[in-house]
Amino acid sequence: MNQEQAATTGPGTASPAPSVRQLTFQWAAGPAIPVLSVVIALLLGAIFVQLSGKDAIAAYSALVQGAFGTPYDITETLVSAIPLVLTGLAVAVAFRTGLFNIGAQGQLLVGALAAGWAGAQFATWPGIILMPVVILFGIAGGAFYGGIVGFLKAVRGVNEVITTIMLNYTIVFVMHWLLQAGPMTAQNALGTPASTPIGAGARLPVIIPNELVLFSRLHAGIILAAVAVVLFWFLLWRTPLGYQLRAVGLGPRAAAQAGIDPARHMVLVMAIAGGFAGLGGMIEVSGVFGRVYDGFSSSYGFDAIAVALLGKNSPLGIVFAALLFGAFVHGGAYMQSHAGISSNLVAIIQAFVLFVIAAETLVRALTRRRRGARKPVEAIA
Amino acid sequence: MTLEMLLGASVFAATLRLAAPIALAALGGTVTERSGVTYIALEGSMLVGCFFGVVAADRSHNVWIGLAVALLAGVLLAGLHAYASIALRADQIVSGMALNILALGLTTYLDYQMYGTTGTPADLPTLPDVQLGLLKGVPYLGDAIGSQNLMVWTMGGLVVLLQLFLFRTVLGLRLRAVGEHPRAAETVGIDVRRIRYAAVLASGALAALGGAYLSLGVAHSFTDGMTGGRGFIGLAAMIFGRWTPVGALAASLIFGYGNALSTSLQGASIGDVKVPVQLLGTLPYILTILAVAGFVGRSRPPAADGLPYETEGHA
Repeated sequence: MNQEQAATTGPGTASPAPSVRQLTFQWAAGPAIPVLSVVIALLLGAIFVQLSGKDAIAAYSALVQGAFGTPYDITETLVSAIPLVLTGLAVAVAFRTGLFNIGAQGQLLVGALAAGWAGAQFATWPGIILMPVVILFGIAGGAFYGGIVGFLKAVRGVNEVITTIMLNYTIVFVMHWLLQAGPMTAQNALGTPASTPIGAGARLPVIIPNELVLFSRLHAGIILAAVAVVLFWFLLWRTPLGYQLRAVGLGPRAAAQAGIDPARHMVLVMAIAGGFAGLGGMIEVSGVFGRVYDGFSSSYGFDAIAVALLGKNSPLGIVFAALLFGAFVHGGAYMQSHAGISSNLVAIIQAFVLFVIAAETLVRALTRRRRGARKPVEAIA
Repeated sequence: MTLEMLLGASVFAATLRLAAPIALAALGGTVTERSGVTYIALEGSMLVGCFFGVVAADRSHNVWIGLAVALLAGVLLAGLHAYASIALRADQIVSGMALNILALGLTTYLDYQMYGTTGTPADLPTLPDVQLGLLKGVPYLGDAIGSQNLMVWTMGGLVVLLQLFLFRTVLGLRLRAVGEHPRAAETVGIDVRRIRYAAVLASGALAALGGAYLSLGVAHSFTDGMTGGRGFIGLAAMIFGRWTPVGALAASLIFGYGNALSTSLQGASIGDVKVPVQLLGTLPYILTILAVAGFVGRSRPPAADGLPYETEGHA
C-alpha cells in the first residue's frame, strides 16, 4: 500500500488510530461502563429537561410507563427493538473487523426495497416458498449495498465512513424515484408514496394471539432477529472466518502478516453487515407494513451506531441495547402525548450516550479517579 | 424539455441560491479537515444555526442579532466536538454522529416546546437581498444575480478570503502543516492544539452561517430538520472540491445546479420518457464516491485528518 492510499483509507486501517473501534474491545468485561454511560446520559437528559422548564421525573416516568406500562406496550417496545437488533449487528460486525459502518440505514432500505419488490412480484406464491425468497432478497439487497462499500475500500482505498454516508443519501433519492415515479410505484389511498402490497405468503405472522394481548403487532420477525444474533455469535467466535475477521479488526497489519487478506475480508464483512441490515428492512416490510412506504424507517440505521457501541459489539450487549432504544422509541411517543414533553428528548439522550462513549477517556478518567480515590482507603484498611 | 429549463437565468439564480448553504458548510469542512480534525456534524452546526438564529431574531426583532446567535450556536456545538476530539482524543466520527443527533433532537425538542404546532412567527425579520440597480434590465445577468441574498455574496467573499488565507498566508500554511504532519509542525513551534481548536470553531461558524441563511434568508421560518442533509452534501462538496475553498465552491455549484434542475425539470419529458427528477438528487453523492475512488480526479484528504494528536511529552 503506497502512502497515498494509506492516507485515503484514513483512520482505522493502516494508521494505529486510537479509536472506539479498537478501544471498545478493551472495555472491562462487565457491563459497568455501558451502564455508566447510560446513567450519565440520563442524568444529562434530566438536567436538560429541568432547564427547559419541565419536570424530569414526570418525563422519565411517562417514558417508562409508555414503554412498559401495559402488556401491549411491552410488545410494541419489542416491535421497535427488532430492527434495532439487526442494524446493531450490521454495525457491530463491521466494528469487529475495524470498519465503521455508518451505512446500516441505507442497507436496511435496500433490503426493504428488494424484499418489497419480491414480495409483490411473486405475491401469488405459497408462503412456504415465498417467505424464504423474500428473506433472501432482503439479505441480498443489503449485502449488495454493503458490499459496494467493502469493494471500494478494498480496491480503491476509499474510507468507508465517506461511502456509507453518501450511499445512505443516494438510496433515499432512489427510493423517492422508485416509489413516486418508478417501477415500484403503486396508487395508495393514504397518499403516501408506497409500493404494491406484498403477498399474504410474504407476511410475517403476528405471534401473540388477540386473547393474550389485544391488537399486538409483535410478529415472527423476533424469531428471525434471535436467529441472526446467534448467527452473529457463531460466525465471529465459532468459525475460522470469524476468527480472521476479528484478527483483522484487532490488528490489520498483524493479520496480513499471518496470511489473512484484509482486502477480501473487507468486502465480505461489509456484505455480511449489509445482509444483517437488509434482513432488518425485510422484517419491517414483512412484519409491520406489508409494503414499502417512502421514508418508512425513521432512523433505525442511525440508532444502530449507538446500539452497537453501547452493546460493546457483543451479541447479548446488542440485544440489551436494542431493547433500551426500542423502549425509548415506543415510550417516547407516549411521553409526548401524556407528559407534553417532545419525544425528541430520546434523541437527546441517545446523543449523550454516544458522546459519552466517544469521549470514553472521560468515563475512564472518572472511573480511574474513583479507583484512585479508593486506593488509599484500601491501603489504610 | 426546453433550453430555458436547463440554462435559463432563473435556473442560474436558483443554482446560486441552492449552492450557497452547501458551499458554506463545505468551507467549514475544508478549514477543519485541513487542520486535521474531521467534523461530520457540519449538518448539526447548520441546524442549530437555523433554529437559534430564528429564535434570537424572533425575540430581538433584529435579524443581525439572530445571525450572531446562529453563529454562536454553531460555534458552541463545534466547541463540544473540539473539546472531545482534541482534549479527550475521542473518536471524531462517533462524536460527530452524536452531535448531529444532539442538534436534531435539541432543535426539534425546543421547537415543539416554544412554537408548538403553530410554527415560527410569520413576522420574522429576514436577511436582506442585495438589489443591484445597475444590472436592472440587463438581460440574463439582471435576473440571475441582480437580486441575490446577502449571504450568497458573503459566501462568495468567504471563498476568496479562505482560499487566500489557506494558501497565501503564514497562518494558513501553519494550519495546513498541522493537518498534514502535526509532529513536524509542533517541532517548529506551532501550537497544534490551538490551531485545531480555532479551525473546528471556525468550521462551526461557517456551517451555522449556511444554516442562518436557510432559515432567515430563504425559508423565513424554522421547520424540524430543515437542513435536510445539506451539511452532508457540504462534506461531499469538500471532498469533491479536494479540500480547497475554490474547489468546494465549484462542487457546490454543480450540486446546486443538480438541485435547481430537479425543480425546473419537474414534469418535463424527453420524447415520451418522463425525466426521473428524483434521481438527480443522487448526483452529489455518486459524484463524491467516484471522486474519492479516483474515477473523477483524485481526492486525497490531509494526511493527519481525523487522527487525534498527543504532544511528545504526553505520550
